Amino acid sequence: MASTQALKGRIRSVSSTKQITKAMELVAASKMRRAQDATKASSPYTVAATSLLANLAGHVSVQTHPLFEQRTVKSRLFVVIASDKGLAGAFNSNIIRMYANELKADDTAGIANKTITIGRKAAQFVARIKDTEVVGSYQDTPDRPDGYELRAILDTAKDMFEAGEVDAVDVIYTDYVSSMTQQARITRLLPAGISHEPTASEVKDVLYEPSPEEVLDGIVYRLVGAQLFQALLDSRASEHSMRMMAMRNATDNASDLIEDLTLAMNKARQGAITQELSEISGGVEAMND
Amino acid sequence: MHLQLITLSGVSVDDKIYELMAPTTAGDIAVFPGHEPLVTMAAPGTLVVRHDKKDGDDKLEYFAISGGVIEVNPDSIRVLVDEADHGDDIIEAESQAALERALKLRDEAQDQVELDKAHQLIDRHTVRLRVAELQRRRRR
Repeated sequence: MASTQALKGRIRSVSSTKQITKAMELVAASKMRRAQDATKASSPYTVAATSLLANLAGHVSVQTHPLFEQRTVKSRLFVVIASDKGLAGAFNSNIIRMYANELKADDTAGIANKTITIGRKAAQFVARIKDTEVVGSYQDTPDRPDGYELRAILDTAKDMFEAGEVDAVDVIYTDYVSSMTQQARITRLLPAGISHEPTASEVKDVLYEPSPEEVLDGIVYRLVGAQLFQALLDSRASEHSMRMMAMRNATDNASDLIEDLTLAMNKARQGAITQELSEISGGVEAMND
Repeated sequence: MHLQLITLSGVSVDDKIYELMAPTTAGDIAVFPGHEPLVTMAAPGTLVVRHDKKDGDDKLEYFAISGGVIEVNPDSIRVLVDEADHGDDIIEAESQAALERALKLRDEAQDQVELDKAHQLIDRHTVRLRVAELQRRRRR
């Protein structure tokens, strides 16, 4: 049996680990709440842009816009959204597993691919493999990503798609279903597959400036942007949520471990006392004889 | 006239107003109640809101906006932009520093992508700085 001293040392180290995981859990929880609110914030934007697009459909042919163009996919661009930091449970491994599967599928189908990574963990993975060409990698994106960050990624993807360098743009991100469920998902960003509400029956007499085509261009661009933005927000909320769960489990495990170790230590101490007593009484017996 | 200012991070204004001055790709426009239906592209710049007909110029509200779409109806306006910062929320010194960083970035840019990024940043912070200045002048 381990000595009381050694057990004491282990208990001390486990408790300090527990303190750390507990603190990380609390930090992740507060960040999660903020990120959770943010995931809902962009929906009015999408709703407004969709309704504008529906109105516009009466004036110009929406489907002929270059960003809607369906081509046979010979090469595609991945936007992989992971996190900068680890210790978030299966968050990064889920994303990377899905990404690796897609790469394998492309290999067998003979599709070339390029990748934009967001988050250090994704960049580290891509650096180790040779199957793909890295177009860009973004790190240290702020907790509340703003339009500027988004536009840089979006513009790269849009330019490549319009120039015909890639025939499709897919985003691999973590969908924030609820605080308990988060799921890695792949979704097609381009060609835009925006669902249209049927056009308003009466075509409203509206002035489009400078021209309906240019307005259409602006709206489609923004809708696609909103979709990417939503993926970023969802990933962020999922990351914090999964880190919180992982840290809660770690804290619980540490508590269990401390309990077991304390029990073992008490047993060892009691054992030592009992042994000492029996030695003493044995000695007394021997002297009486 | 009802104004909704919608950004990626939520609805930042949802209020009755009297006049809206907005930058568009075809030049600045001012919209009053009863304007004909219009959809136009917003350019990055300063969005100005007058809440009441009786309000003087000292009561105007300023926003720094990025590009987007403006939808005007006779009794409502919807402004859809990626970002909108209220003049009060912009810290002038911070924007100034950010602008200087962006200018430095432009001078040190190695390729076209970096240059584009720098130009975007410069535009953004120039607008913010201008709005902060307008806001400061109003306070005096």
